[in-house]
Amino acid sequence: MGRLSGQSLYEVFARQKREDRFEHIGTVTAPSADLARVYAWQIYDEEKWFEMTIAQRTAFESVNRDEIPFTLTAEERP
Amino acid sequence: MSTQGFASAGDLPEELKQPLGSVLLALADNKRLLGMRYSEWILGAPTLEAGIACSAMAQDEWGHGRIVYAMLKGFGYDPAELEHEREGDAYHCSELLDQPAGSWPEVLALNLLLDTALSVQFEGMRTGRYEPMHYKAKKLLDEERFHLGHGRGWTARLAETEAGRGALTEAFRPAWESCLRWFGSPDGTIGDLLSEHGVVRGSPAELRSEWLVQVGPAVHAAGLGLVEPDGDRWSSTVEPDWTDWDGERRRVGTGGPDDATLAGVRGDKNRAMLLD
Repeated sequence: MGRLSGQSLYEVFARQKREDRFEHIGTVTAPSADLARVYAWQIYDEEKWFEMTIAQRTAFESVNRDEIPFTLTAEERP
Repeated sequence: MSTQGFASAGDLPEELKQPLGSVLLALADNKRLLGMRYSEWILGAPTLEAGIACSAMAQDEWGHGRIVYAMLKGFGYDPAELEHEREGDAYHCSELLDQPAGSWPEVLALNLLLDTALSVQFEGMRTGRYEPMHYKAKKLLDEERFHLGHGRGWTARLAETEAGRGALTEAFRPAWESCLRWFGSPDGTIGDLLSEHGVVRGSPAELRSEWLVQVGPAVHAAGLGLVEPDGDRWSSTVEPDWTDWDGERRRVGTGGPDDATLAGVRGDKNRAMLLD
């Protein structure tokens, strides 16, 4: 099929009830936000979530450390 | 036209009961077979995540099929017989589902095009006069959002390369024509009759137009040459061939699912384990 674009890591957050805080429940790897949403919903289906949200890992800003949060791959580093 | 709802199959006038039963059977059979086709790619999908998606979609489709088969009891069918005792030529499924998908682009054609066609028909029934379908269709369509997202996402991904676009074009062209036909022929009676009586919101032509709105942007963006924007709607650049169209079974050709498929949908291996 030729060379396809790279994949990104997305952090997945969810809450079971409206009054709950979001919990970090895991990650998914996907080539687009569209597919990341699908994968997150289908992979983390152990609860009946009220709301689920995703964010690309590179969107996070470090607060107390010099390096970027989590462990970014070489391509993801700014 | 009355807008009063029908609370059960028993409330339907006879002239609507058989046509609605026919539409429900086509939906149930297509759901059941589509679930089978997704399940065959759980281990063959290009990524682990896509395999999990196939597994989730297969489970959803089998659940949807089950719900609709159960509803057919009110229409004079025996759900157990429908699910386990029919030959291939008695299935009202799209000819696209007769054999397993032979490639990932063919899976995507089923996923984006056929699965969405079924959803558009369900959406027409969710707001129609047959009330038992309202809640069931809503729940089912909530799950289908993610199927559509999967089909759109993967179509966009494969379309990034020329080779991917070529493979998509080859797989989508026959599926496109088949799905255009699936809503019913221009001189058909079942879909128009149900629409005229408000049992389904939308004639076959209107449902086809809505399907084009749902799938048109993704197929157009992929550069597959099957659809063009047309004001706020979308137009197919291809006219389907209606030769051998069977309006009752909503397919072309007299065949049906192959023997291996029938053994799978009947659950022959599971039943062989039963000690009775």
